[in-house]
Amino acid sequence: MSDLSKLDILVRGRAGESHLLLGNEAVARGALEGGVQVATTYPGTPSSEIADTIALMAREASIYMEYSTNEMVALEVAAGASISGARAICSMKMVGLNVASDALMTLAYTGVRGGLVIISADDPDCFSSQNEQDNRYYALLANAPCFEPSNPQEAKDMLLSALSLSEEFELPVMLRLVTRVSHARKPVVLGPVEARRRDMKFSRDVKRFVMVPSNARSRHLVLLEKMDRVKRVAEESSLNTVLGEGALGVVTSGVSFNYCMESLNLLDLRASVLKLGLVNPLPTGLIVSFLKDHDPVIVVEELEPFLELHIRSMVQGAAVHRRILGKLSDPSYLPRNGELSTKLVLSAIRKVLGRPTPIDFQDIENRSRMAEALSPPRPPVLCPGCPHMASFHAIKVATGGRAVCATDIGCYALGAQPPLSIGDVLLCMGASAGVASGISKVVKEPVVGVVGDSTFFHASIPGLINAVYNKHKFVYIVLDNCTTAMTNFQPHPGTGVTGLGESSKQILIEDVAKGCGVDFVKVTDPYDLKFTISTIKEAVEQKGPAVVISRHKCAILESQERTAKGDEIVPFEVDEEKCTECTACVKLLGCPALVVSQRNVSIDSILCVGCGVCAQVCPYGAIRKG
Amino acid sequence: MSTTNLIVAGVGGQGVILATEILGKAAIKENFDVVISEIHGMAQRGGAVVSHVRIGSRVYSPTVVDGSADAILGFEPVEVLRSLRYASDRTRIVTNKKRVIPPSVSMGIAEYPSLEQIVEMYRRFTQHIAMIDAFSLAEEAGSTRTQNIVLVGALAATRVLPLKNDTLKACIQERVPKRYLEANLRAFDLGHAEASR
Repeated sequence: MSDLSKLDILVRGRAGESHLLLGNEAVARGALEGGVQVATTYPGTPSSEIADTIALMAREASIYMEYSTNEMVALEVAAGASISGARAICSMKMVGLNVASDALMTLAYTGVRGGLVIISADDPDCFSSQNEQDNRYYALLANAPCFEPSNPQEAKDMLLSALSLSEEFELPVMLRLVTRVSHARKPVVLGPVEARRRDMKFSRDVKRFVMVPSNARSRHLVLLEKMDRVKRVAEESSLNTVLGEGALGVVTSGVSFNYCMESLNLLDLRASVLKLGLVNPLPTGLIVSFLKDHDPVIVVEELEPFLELHIRSMVQGAAVHRRILGKLSDPSYLPRNGELSTKLVLSAIRKVLGRPTPIDFQDIENRSRMAEALSPPRPPVLCPGCPHMASFHAIKVATGGRAVCATDIGCYALGAQPPLSIGDVLLCMGASAGVASGISKVVKEPVVGVVGDSTFFHASIPGLINAVYNKHKFVYIVLDNCTTAMTNFQPHPGTGVTGLGESSKQILIEDVAKGCGVDFVKVTDPYDLKFTISTIKEAVEQKGPAVVISRHKCAILESQERTAKGDEIVPFEVDEEKCTECTACVKLLGCPALVVSQRNVSIDSILCVGCGVCAQVCPYGAIRKG
Repeated sequence: MSTTNLIVAGVGGQGVILATEILGKAAIKENFDVVISEIHGMAQRGGAVVSHVRIGSRVYSPTVVDGSADAILGFEPVEVLRSLRYASDRTRIVTNKKRVIPPSVSMGIAEYPSLEQIVEMYRRFTQHIAMIDAFSLAEEAGSTRTQNIVLVGALAATRVLPLKNDTLKACIQERVPKRYLEANLRAFDLGHAEASR
């Protein structure tokens, strides 16, 4: 949707209208309908469009939104607003909750005042993530109620239920999405918009909000008692519901529900499906009575056997004897990794009932493997003219290709693949500084850490201070492309612009690095290869941690801005007279605009952004401005 | 009615999401339920992308089952190869002929198969194949950026989707910027005519 038509639908759309919405856009509309006043986030796939859409709506909808420096800060800001009486949401990808978990665990003790919902967008199958953790376990650990919608409509509606529940019990509540809900587009019926609260003020309650040990002890009991009461709500909730009839029982939740329904339809099977919309705390009474009425009972859920584990403990408590089929009883039944699909659920049900599948999946698999073998791989790559390519090439040249490199989370993680091959360890946001420090204590080769600008602000600063304090020797290269590129160009503290589009104080990475105590801090433009290489060489010679900020605006963003200004982008071209077809340009940089066909090197004039880096690496001076 | 299953396969940046959004909007206009599953984020940086579109009276799963696609719309010939698992002998393949050479091929790590090899592989799954030169038709329409709409037009000509041409055109009108509207509508017609031949 264009921004204008998005606003038309999401802010001005009336109750009863149905529109095609992305799951994350539906959640943003839910925030408006639910009277949310404060929305915070740190961007991360598959959650980003929730806050990006709210940023677009913010002014007209009078919602305050911000891109916080990281997820813990985002949750703290939302908590402060909620404790002061406002309704708030805090959205993040699932690994973001690892960062925010410190705040969450104690926030459950203090509880909230205005409804506060933490939206965790999980990524089964790691489409855009470094792991595929199942965040339902965070709800269990924190004692936070957790809703799990199966589609965009439910995502919006359950946000409203979550806000109400949060306010009724004064508890932080989780809304757990997955990629196939966040990034599914479906018709969504809009609801009425609730009026925003006014005139809230802070009311002091030290026993409740100041978590010194004596207060924490009593608040823990309050939390446990609240969750007992929420359990009674779960027993009665219409979000936990039984569909269909039959001796076979299926227990499921979230996106898995869809695969169950499709499978039962395809197999033309009569069954009863217990769909759980509230997955923490689970309704023991409802589940036990469902177990008593059905045999066998199969549990269908993505990733961890979360429901199954609870159901098995309920069975023991209630002494019911039923065949329960799940991942714990038979690891070959459904995988504990990756996302589910109708194919997998169909095959699991077939296996349980001893029925043939209506489709010969094995035959398809065999032929597909042949087709895939014929297909050249096309993994995601750095974009044409990406300044990171130049930075990586410079690191390689400056260290003679010997550097051991701790990389970080962002587009530049793609540099680990050939031909650049920079990146030997990748863990989590901001880990590069700490990991590089550890490596430097062990190896003799030059050690490099690379981190993006937004990731630098997010979590690498304590690692950098530690490196100065504990005297670790490595070169920390900040790949500053002046945006949060991977997740769709959100602003950050280094851009001097807020999520609401207001100008703010621009915080310079070089100032932060100096403030952390780093003595050697230099800035270079990676499009100037020679200078970048000599700067990195100089940094390698330093005794302590040295910071090189390799700064050039993201090529996509720069091209967009230049096109908008009417600047002509002049692509480079290959001088066929001079080109020896050595393909050094392609082998050194791997820029997608450089195309080799039958050894003939050319530059795709549509893709080329005119950065000129390939002209600098060509040994024969055969690449020039067109 | 039974559900119509469509796979749209292409390369990040080719306009797959816009094309599927237009199909989805048209489905709503004609009072169908619809679900589209998209790929965002890291996976779309010049990598292979697949969108699933399912249209029917009530659709649950956001993804298509192997061997169940009514059509595969290819934005790039090799990307159709990667999605053949969704095909059966009744699947219609409508694909762009225009190749997008992946860096793995330019670097000499992998080989790009010939069009003959590619079609031969398609034929192991289905005989209903339409190859369209969407790039040239888009140029003819006035902008190479309309390749995605040429392909939507070509798909419409197969009549696999329960959607009327006028509805699709109305959705194109709603969705593309005014200054590109004419080129996009021309692109739709050119694609449609090409696949109807």
